[in-house]
Amino acid sequence: MKNKILTSCLFVALTFSSCSDFLDVKPTNSADASTQTITTVADANVIIRGLMSKMASGNYYGRNFMLYADTKGGDYTITSQGRGYDYLYVFNHSETSNNYSSIWSQGYNCIAHINDLLVQIENLKAAGSSENFDTVIGQALTARALIYFDLVRLYGKPFNMDKNSFGVPITLTPLSSDAKLTRSSVNEVYTQILKDLKDAEPLITKPTNASTLANTNGFLNYFGNKAIQARVYLYMEDFENALAAAEEVIAFSQYKLYTNDTWVSSWSKQFGSESVFELAIYPNEGDLGNSSLGAYTRRRGNPNNTIAAGYFTSSTSFLARLNEDAQDVRKGIMTTDELSTTANPRHGAIYKYSGSVGLDGDGKGNSTAVNIKVIRLSEVYLIASEAALRKASPDLTKAVNYLNQIRKRSPNLTPASNASINIDLIDAERSKELIGEGHRFFDMMRWNKTINFDDALASVSTIHRAASIDRTFHKTILPIPLAEVNANGEIFSQQNPGYRN
Amino acid sequence: MNKHLLTSMCIMACGLQVVNAQQIPIAGKITDQNGTPLSGVTVSIKGTNVAVTSNANGLFTLNADQNATLIVSSIGYVSQEIKVSGRKTVNVSLSSTDQELDEVIVVAYGTAKKSTFTGSAANINYAKDAKDVPVTSFQDALTGRVPGVQINSTSGQAGSTTSIRIRGIGSMNASNEPLYVIDGVPIVSGQVSQMSGYTYNTNNVMNTINPNDIESITILKDAAASSLYGSRAANGVVLITTKKGKTGAPKISFKSSLAISPDWATDNYEKADIQDQINTLYSVLYDSRIAAGRTPEQANEQTLMRLNSRNWTPGTSYGTANTGYGFGIHGYEFSTEGTSMFEHVTIKGKTDGVENRDGKYFNWDDVFFRTGKYNVNDISFSGATEKTNYFTSLGYTTDKSRTVLNDYERINGRFNFTQKLSPILDFGVNLAIANTELSGFNDTRNTSTNYLFQSRNLFWDFYWPTDYKSGNTWTTRYNSYAQNQVYYNNEWENGTGTRRLSASPSLTLNLLPELNLKTIFSYDQTTSRDHLYYSANHYTGANDMGIVHEMNTDLRKLVSSTTANYTKSFGLHNLGVLAGFEAEKNTTDFMRTTGKDIPNSQLPTVATAGNLDAQAYAWGNSIMSALSRVEYNFDEKYFASASYRTDGSSKLSPENRWGNFWSIAGSWNLAKENFIVNIPSINALRLRSSYGVNGTLPSDNFAWRALVTYGNKYMQRPGGGLGNSPNPNLTWENNYSTNIALEFGLFKNKLFGTVEYYNRDSKDLLQDVPQSMITGFGSSVRNVGQINNKGVEILLGSDIINKQDLKWTLSVNAASLSSKVIKLNGGAEEEIIWNDPTGGDARSRYIYKEGQSTLAFYGIEWAGTDQTNGKNVWYINDGTAGDFEFNGRGATYTYTKAQRVIIGNGIPKFTGGINSNLEYKDFSLGLNFVYKIGGELYDAANRDVADDGYYWERIHSQDFVDNTWTPEKGSGYYPMISGRDLEDVNQISSRHLNPADFLRLKNVSLSYNIPSNVLKSAKISNARLFFNGSNLLTFSKFKLADPEVNQYSTRGWETPIAKTYTFGIDFSF
Repeated sequence: MKNKILTSCLFVALTFSSCSDFLDVKPTNSADASTQTITTVADANVIIRGLMSKMASGNYYGRNFMLYADTKGGDYTITSQGRGYDYLYVFNHSETSNNYSSIWSQGYNCIAHINDLLVQIENLKAAGSSENFDTVIGQALTARALIYFDLVRLYGKPFNMDKNSFGVPITLTPLSSDAKLTRSSVNEVYTQILKDLKDAEPLITKPTNASTLANTNGFLNYFGNKAIQARVYLYMEDFENALAAAEEVIAFSQYKLYTNDTWVSSWSKQFGSESVFELAIYPNEGDLGNSSLGAYTRRRGNPNNTIAAGYFTSSTSFLARLNEDAQDVRKGIMTTDELSTTANPRHGAIYKYSGSVGLDGDGKGNSTAVNIKVIRLSEVYLIASEAALRKASPDLTKAVNYLNQIRKRSPNLTPASNASINIDLIDAERSKELIGEGHRFFDMMRWNKTINFDDALASVSTIHRAASIDRTFHKTILPIPLAEVNANGEIFSQQNPGYRN
Repeated sequence: MNKHLLTSMCIMACGLQVVNAQQIPIAGKITDQNGTPLSGVTVSIKGTNVAVTSNANGLFTLNADQNATLIVSSIGYVSQEIKVSGRKTVNVSLSSTDQELDEVIVVAYGTAKKSTFTGSAANINYAKDAKDVPVTSFQDALTGRVPGVQINSTSGQAGSTTSIRIRGIGSMNASNEPLYVIDGVPIVSGQVSQMSGYTYNTNNVMNTINPNDIESITILKDAAASSLYGSRAANGVVLITTKKGKTGAPKISFKSSLAISPDWATDNYEKADIQDQINTLYSVLYDSRIAAGRTPEQANEQTLMRLNSRNWTPGTSYGTANTGYGFGIHGYEFSTEGTSMFEHVTIKGKTDGVENRDGKYFNWDDVFFRTGKYNVNDISFSGATEKTNYFTSLGYTTDKSRTVLNDYERINGRFNFTQKLSPILDFGVNLAIANTELSGFNDTRNTSTNYLFQSRNLFWDFYWPTDYKSGNTWTTRYNSYAQNQVYYNNEWENGTGTRRLSASPSLTLNLLPELNLKTIFSYDQTTSRDHLYYSANHYTGANDMGIVHEMNTDLRKLVSSTTANYTKSFGLHNLGVLAGFEAEKNTTDFMRTTGKDIPNSQLPTVATAGNLDAQAYAWGNSIMSALSRVEYNFDEKYFASASYRTDGSSKLSPENRWGNFWSIAGSWNLAKENFIVNIPSINALRLRSSYGVNGTLPSDNFAWRALVTYGNKYMQRPGGGLGNSPNPNLTWENNYSTNIALEFGLFKNKLFGTVEYYNRDSKDLLQDVPQSMITGFGSSVRNVGQINNKGVEILLGSDIINKQDLKWTLSVNAASLSSKVIKLNGGAEEEIIWNDPTGGDARSRYIYKEGQSTLAFYGIEWAGTDQTNGKNVWYINDGTAGDFEFNGRGATYTYTKAQRVIIGNGIPKFTGGINSNLEYKDFSLGLNFVYKIGGELYDAANRDVADDGYYWERIHSQDFVDNTWTPEKGSGYYPMISGRDLEDVNQISSRHLNPADFLRLKNVSLSYNIPSNVLKSAKISNARLFFNGSNLLTFSKFKLADPEVNQYSTRGWETPIAKTYTFGIDFSF
């Protein structure tokens, strides 16, 4: 009897250990942010890798941002309506529908990530840490500048159009969940971008040789920072500074332009000699498979008919531009699209993000896990050329020289000369060189040019825009997403014009 | 028995109880209500430990004081207390519990007589009332039976589980589900499997419980009944009691039934006939050409080109022929007489292939749907002696739903056992095992896996599984993301196998007659193993050359509960005290392996894959509690009770971790008062009321702490980042409940019932609140304010006929509900806008605003179709006159100009049921109706089939075709079709709101007890044949689809529920 009672007491006691431990339950896949995350530079680099991964997400550089800039720029068209993302092409977005909110949310998620990292480093320093976090801070600030630059281009008017109009909200510190920020002006955002880039400049890793450069593959380095500065100054039309920043990148001996022989094959390799900033997409990481960026510009049904895809192809005007020289090396990354027939071949499908027209990928055994080349040396040359041409006292020789380094990829075209160089030549070269890389629409906006859409090709009809638009059209900037407006009443009255009436 | 006599004599000898004893020998016979002798019945002397049991002939003898009171008890029968009053022969007839009005019900941490219980609890005798209803999960069978308990079964998927809402809506963040307690132990409920991260599915672990093992269910509704469960009781508590053995000879029972579901319960967005479909598509495409600036001739020509595609040679065409789409590739040819927008399109078969499809269309419904079959086989052995009680069962259930590939299978075992170890120590153990296999998840708006959506919107009858030209299998995807399911159904697999093992041993120590100690230790392990495979031929798997995921989720729940119970009577004063403590630990381990590059489609295993990826981690939570209760009554006339519980939870920060929950209650049994006793027409009359506090915990385990997660691998190295927007101030949601009830029985129960009022204030409401994304996150869990639910619940019943051979009981129940936001922490100006969390498609939107309903639909207000031009009209609702006046209000044709407002309310005014039970000799007929009055339902599926102008190959419904505005008719409910890329239909707007009222004959059951004289020769003691019909009749204003919607009052593309016909037999021997 006693034993039985004893047993039952034991039975009860067995289930308890210490009381406070019992109620302190932690997950095993995440760490307590306040106590466990960072103490060393190696820890901080884990967070930087997380940041790069988030920037490479399909919501941002991994797909959406790139698609946005190309589908709206006039160099892309569609072969049929209703397949998905064609609302970008026909500008069918409103506050509630197709508002592309994932760019807004992903961008600010990355910024929150950066702000938290910077605060944690501040705290460690304040607590007397002897670790040197400079390179981490430099990367974080540079990334923050790039993200604000992207956001202000999506949601604000071009800097040279109305810099005092609404840009995007700026936050440099972690926010509590009930924070409700309002929009800063375009000018204030650009000021912050430049401040971050300048603050980062002395801290970020500056490669000096092939080996130190390779260590920054997949991450931002000093020249990435400089190239972003060149871009930002170009958008601000501060051409002196744009040229200076671009030339510093060009001067670094480890970066080399692809030759005409290696240009096409460069797409099937990671971290080529032109990659100033390249985001890595690996299988089992950011690879989006059938819905990856590359799949959206392939020929429909390639490699097999089970993949629907085939959403976008090149516009007729773009193909005409590229075909000015039948031997243009850049035709090597393009092949027949779904409208192509034997009688009327049409090489409109773009395979930059499939590695090659043979779907080789870039060396990871999968044709959709292909790195995103965010900044290439070719772009830096074109920035340098444009800045040299447009600065207060134009340097035509430099402008011609930098342009021709790229223009020679059309071997049969007459090189530009001091007499012939103009903005249209640079425009055409940027179009041919950078198609699919997230530039065209923003270029057209800052140049204040008219975009003509190739609606005729597939008889596309739309009530959401005209066949030709320019930056006075209100839908050239995105609406603040409804989810933001709903949660943040303060921003309600700051919606971009035209979206509520 | 001798030993017991000895024991009792021994105790008596010690003089504990009996002083001045005048012992007399007493003998008697115990029978059931039909006069059959009952063996094993315990006869004890009240206030002593003296007890004997009846023998095989129902006879017993014992010695007792001539003024003693005998307690005659047996499991399954109502206990009786009989005063000896000097008699030497005491014959007793016991009635079985299921025949008794004043039943003993299971309540929190014990049992109570229904007539004396101070709280609000509804008891369902499941084994009697609901046993024939063909359900895989017991909740479905409760629908319409309990006032104030809303059971929402919206999916007809095999193995799906319905939700229960008790007295309105509490927290939107917490699961909102009640706490389930089986035989005294809180259990795992909700979704265990992690498959939802890969493919939308509904797989609630509650479907591992075999309904046939359930004896009764008690639903605790008010604070007095449920506050003893503290922090998890706010959404009500469902206590499930499983079967036990009954005293007497061992019994073997067998039950088998087969149910078939040949059809849906209602129409579901029925598609237009093929001619109407093609005419509509023609008009849409035509209009898009006109919009692009073409002449009518060009528009007609291009539209026909688009419809015909392959091998169709346009005349003086504009644009390029595209072979990628159109129906020509399936062997059809289209032409029109004229060139207007509304032409009759002539369909002809092409003769250039191996098959001429002229006049022939493929019926895809035959591929997607079948006659559902549901089969149950249960066998149980049970029995009891004075010392031992056992019930053991084995069940096998299969459910093949109306949609193909959606199968459910369950094997159940249960072993309930109690044993007296000594006069003061009882040991018990309940063991349950279950294995369920569920496959074919396809329950949300998904173009490639939702069969209802596909059949109604995507699959034209022009599509065929074979190529008309060659006769070969068609492997290319059709347009609108349709694909040949005949082929693709073999190119993927999904399924979840759940194994559950629970064991809850208990010990009860009867230290004193008044005092016992009980300890239960429960171990509940649920393992879900998910398998998801796409072959290299499937478009989802093509890029990876075949992909297979294997996931393992292992949930362990440990509960330890120890209580002490003291009951004592002092004259007419009766006192009961309970105290105890409880600890619970929940741990989930998750593992996933993914294999890509599968070499052989016959071997979809990770082992054969060329490329592997894995994931593994764990999470969990713990609760610690102390609890107590005091109950007192005077002469069973005046009752009072109070309870108190304190809970500590790991889900909240150390500062906010502990919460206190309590209740007080009282009742007054008026029927015992002299001034009522004399009124013969009143059989029962009781007033009771309660007030108390209980709580709700957030569903998220770690919402209070800032987390860095490591899900952002980069370049094959770890990457970390901020994982959430933490809320360190997160605290309990507290519910303050008031309950007042009047129970009555009049005219010998010709009329009986309960009228009950409740008021429930939920303060510090937990809500996953959307937040400004500038913070880096889209939402966080917060305590946002206060909501109120209140209502009146009425149950009225009548034993209309109560004769030996003919009995008819009718009861009606109704519950009114008002659910409002009372206060928001941000004040009267604050608006919290949130999305329907069900279905994964943000199908509807709601707003919390002070003074408004908790389910206030928020969107733009559709004014209807302008009958002069067929355009959508929207009320402007911004205080301006709008672009024009419509029905006397400012309106516009441009939806972006319309201001969002509250457009409707998802809370019904009344819900309830009507139940009728007729017994004639050996036949019984039961009818179970369920109804809902008031409120609106948001129909998020119709937008796909009533689109104003989608120019891709999507089907419109017959309803849309019939009711769309055309210039010819000059009228129509829906706007004129358009090819202009309209987004109007996709807005969250009142266009999709419908009245939610309905009345449904949920169940009809007919059974026949085969007379015992027929059975005797076969040595069968009991045999019964039964039929049940489910969902046979539905009446509703909403005609497009099933009006029975989910708890958020929305409908998407859930698999509809079916009409089900069940035939079965059960017998025991």
